[in-house]
Amino acid sequence: MITARTSTVLALALALLGAPAAAQLPGTPPAPAPLKPTKLPPLREATLPNGMRLLVVESHKLPTVALTLAMRAGDFTDPAGKEGLAGMTATLLTKGAGSRTAEQVSAAIEGAGGSLAAGTSADALTINASALSDSTALVFELLGDAVARPTFDQKEVDLAKTQTLSSLQLQNSQPATVANRVFNRELYGEGAYARSATPASVGSLSRDDVTRFYASRVKPRGALLVVSGDIDLATATRLATSAFKGWTGTPAALPAIGAPRPRTKNEIVLVHRPSSVQANVVVGGPTFAGTDPRIYALLVANRVLGGGGSSRLFQVLREQKSWTYGSYSSFTWNRGIGAFAATVEARNAVVDSALVEMLAQLRRLRDEPVPATEFASARDAIVGSFPLAIETAQQLGSSIARARLLGLPDDYVRMYRTRVAAVTPARAQAVVKQVIDPDKALIVVVGDATVLRDRLAKIAPVRVIRPDGTPVADAELAGPRPGTGIDVSKLVAAHDSFAVLVQGNPFGTSVRNVERTADGVKITEHSVLGPIMSQNTELLIGPDGAMRSVMQRGTVQGMETKIDAAYTSGHVKGAATTVGQAGPKSVSYDTSVVAGIIDDNAISSVVPTLAWAPGASFTLPVFASGEGVARSITLKVTGKQSVTVPAGTFDSYVVEMTGGPVPVNLYVTAAQPYRIVRTVPVGPPIEIVLVK
Amino acid sequence: MAKPTPARPRTPLRRALAAAALTALPLTRLAAQKPAPLPLDIYTLPNGLQVILAEDHAAPVVAVDVTYHVGSSNESPGRTGFAHLFEHMMFQGSAHVKKGEHMSLLEAAGSAGYNGTTIEDRTNYYEPLPSNRLNLGLWLEADRMRSLDITDESFNVQREAVKEERRLRVDNQPYTKVLFEEGYKAIDSASCYPYSHSIIGSMADLDAAKTADVRQFFKLFYAPNNATLVVAGDFQPAETKKLIEQYFGDIPRAATPPAVTCEARFNAGARRETVRDTKATLPAVMRYYTIPAYDSPDYPALELLGTIVGRGASSRLYRSLAREQKVALSTQTFVNLFGPRRGPGAFVVFTIANKGVAIDTVEAKLNDQIAQLANGVSEEELAKAKNAWRASAIGERSRAATLAAAIQRANLFLGDAKSLDADFDRYAAVTTDDIKRVAATYLRPENSYTFIDSAEAK
Repeated sequence: MITARTSTVLALALALLGAPAAAQLPGTPPAPAPLKPTKLPPLREATLPNGMRLLVVESHKLPTVALTLAMRAGDFTDPAGKEGLAGMTATLLTKGAGSRTAEQVSAAIEGAGGSLAAGTSADALTINASALSDSTALVFELLGDAVARPTFDQKEVDLAKTQTLSSLQLQNSQPATVANRVFNRELYGEGAYARSATPASVGSLSRDDVTRFYASRVKPRGALLVVSGDIDLATATRLATSAFKGWTGTPAALPAIGAPRPRTKNEIVLVHRPSSVQANVVVGGPTFAGTDPRIYALLVANRVLGGGGSSRLFQVLREQKSWTYGSYSSFTWNRGIGAFAATVEARNAVVDSALVEMLAQLRRLRDEPVPATEFASARDAIVGSFPLAIETAQQLGSSIARARLLGLPDDYVRMYRTRVAAVTPARAQAVVKQVIDPDKALIVVVGDATVLRDRLAKIAPVRVIRPDGTPVADAELAGPRPGTGIDVSKLVAAHDSFAVLVQGNPFGTSVRNVERTADGVKITEHSVLGPIMSQNTELLIGPDGAMRSVMQRGTVQGMETKIDAAYTSGHVKGAATTVGQAGPKSVSYDTSVVAGIIDDNAISSVVPTLAWAPGASFTLPVFASGEGVARSITLKVTGKQSVTVPAGTFDSYVVEMTGGPVPVNLYVTAAQPYRIVRTVPVGPPIEIVLVK
Repeated sequence: MAKPTPARPRTPLRRALAAAALTALPLTRLAAQKPAPLPLDIYTLPNGLQVILAEDHAAPVVAVDVTYHVGSSNESPGRTGFAHLFEHMMFQGSAHVKKGEHMSLLEAAGSAGYNGTTIEDRTNYYEPLPSNRLNLGLWLEADRMRSLDITDESFNVQREAVKEERRLRVDNQPYTKVLFEEGYKAIDSASCYPYSHSIIGSMADLDAAKTADVRQFFKLFYAPNNATLVVAGDFQPAETKKLIEQYFGDIPRAATPPAVTCEARFNAGARRETVRDTKATLPAVMRYYTIPAYDSPDYPALELLGTIVGRGASSRLYRSLAREQKVALSTQTFVNLFGPRRGPGAFVVFTIANKGVAIDTVEAKLNDQIAQLANGVSEEELAKAKNAWRASAIGERSRAATLAAAIQRANLFLGDAKSLDADFDRYAAVTTDDIKRVAATYLRPENSYTFIDSAEAK
């Protein structure tokens, strides 16, 4: 039974506890509890006998240890024409060293539940190793061997080259990577940060290049080893001294980084990515060197603009407009001049609107002070999140290593929050005015230029390029222009036999016959490709040089193919069934075409009628009657060389044919009558050579 | 560092044997090393909300993680992509949080890396915070659990954002057509629709979604009795429990959601297809072998097999296909792509051909390697895989947010958060015979679906 007295005691106790069961959620966000100081774990330093610095971040929370060895031998030290050398040297450091082969190195580190990886950034070459801490000695040994005793086995060099070349090809399929690479190239012009590995530069790398780079740049003086986790300074010093024994010397003088290319107005560089459903946009410009104290103001301004989900770009472009999954801004913090960049990926229909809005947001940041509450949120976000950025010993170690490489003072980590907290709205705007100029911005767009070019041209001048930087001709984007038809007088009667070679082995034949008839020219072609394909084609051309008709019958992998197309002036009507990688496909068409268009099956026959000369270039309107698609084909002489085929040795023009499904190189005799002696599509290991 | 305590008093002979074992088998010795048990406080509020607290004062950082037991497996045909679409809605405001304010409040508080993610069986919402702002994280989660604001306007905006996300992640990227969309059709959809369709959903279904559907979804699945709250890191337990009770205690419970039904079928035949991909420049082969749910006793052996076959430079596939025969640019295995599943999943082998190498050649070499598993794996390979597993399990404990996610995983998929500690013994107990057996059971041609990516990008 509860008496009045006990119930009073209960009520009193509940009041004292202050947690009534029916307590409600407050209607406003709770106020922050007092900020806790970030306790930095003890940092201890030593210089090893060979001159390298050792920094230990001690934390025994978990049985793990992590090592980071960094030196100023990043991509900016790549010799001209040898782009990718620093990166490849880094990779090879972990591919066989001391007494271990590459397999033994990876088996040893992975066997200990660890990892060992090396790579380069623009500024630094870094090797990271980690493992459970009862393998600490092994991790030091593997890292020491990697930098002091790398093998650079020729076999590993070859493999690294093959893999790098394939990776470059893979990167070309990733729009964000392409955008970033083109942005740097265009921003830095001739500077060291502009350059990046290309198939040609990687193709030229040899073992000698790697050993020379290693001998001049991978040196202990100036190198920094950060060891973090379950270890102390004495142990780290002892293990490092032993592991890096025999590694001595000073790196060669560093090359100049160079300054960005000056810009006087906005410019759009449009990287053509056919059939892309989205476009990646990067808008930006250069900032300043890594030790510049304006960095703290820029950090806050960037946070306001696009540093997170509550920033202006994200709020406007995604939350208000639904134009994108995300839009952000960031800046690179380099030892040399850095860059800021605002980015968005947007569907084709809204790319131009998104770009206009981004430029408007940049102008607003430059021209208007940030309102006090918005500014405070941005600043507090950076200050508040710092403990999360150095939550683990390994993160803290990386932050310190990074600061050292940039040349920042040693109080950087300790003073970071204080320095950010001191930034005012006026200071942030002043810095933005100095470094962000939305009227002299570099704008890189990666997307389908046939859809985007005209719309983007309303915003700023547009230059269209391929991912490798070569220009894209207008003709390639605009659809075909009228042609002049075929000069029938130059279509000489001929009977040519070709062999089809796959990886150098005969795999099929093709016979082409050109004959004059009472009513123009008839071209017949019979091709057999092993058991895979067999095809007969008949083309009729009128006495005026206009296409009349195409008929093709064949089988591809047992499936029937056919084309029937009839050309009348300015019109083509027909149907086709072709077999591609995805199986048979049928199309029918009845469409207008430009005057003088040529069926794509007739290209080989038309080539002898053109006026070949060194440097000559022809653009022809072509109708692909198998696909029902009109195109512009460009044929361009890129050089001259002697070509030997079964029919003999011919002095030939090298003709690059582009604008079709795959680029093709043709070899056309330099002497008249012109004949195609060799046809090589770019990519597949196939070629077609003249037999007689 | 603490040495393992001997289970029984040791005789000199026993000690000598132990010492010999240490030198002869260094990898076995490593298998003894495990972290200290987690100090977990597990309880349930009267309204059904399960709470798990994991205290750790190493850094002034805390993570809040609310995991709802709902995901794409709860979707029915014509409603795909719904669980994920809903996840976006959870950032759109609630009774006391205006639209857009959820993110700005968190960011101004210094939260970094907050997010929501959706997989087959759960949708999670988490925010790492400086520890003085734990109260904000709890307040935001409580407000949206009780009073999510679902308007036509915010729904339409989020639907478009999800469609953009789909374009970005699936339609405009190489290889994702299979990995993000088609792949799990390897699971028989007639007997197990919940685990055979994609998380991201179809454009048509996203277009057909209505605001009323979202309200219904919230009512059905977003209730305290269908959720688990984890707080990990630097907090004071008494104060935190009080706050949780105050913020979450009076949110009403809802009816138990309908159960997901799935009958796992294995050995449905060797199936294959070629997938057109105009975004890839190098062809690839993706092989899906059907495997059982995460709580299956075979799962640890399958995970370790995944490491032996295709994780790391010393894995079998990488060594043979990429390094020795040079036919592959990359090759790797995933034991489920997005995380654990309560229903059947897939052991996935994803191999990209090297430039100029025919995909048939790559697939033939891959088949050779899988066939060789019939001869078993070495003790050394298994010890290596176990060490890699341990390093990653220990690594999960290094940050508050990853620890909170690990606790949620163990709790939801194994039914007990404490299994995070027990797992160290469970994985240590796997033998080479177990590996041979699971390889023979699941990595069979008749239990596989092979996708060839055509790589038609120019």
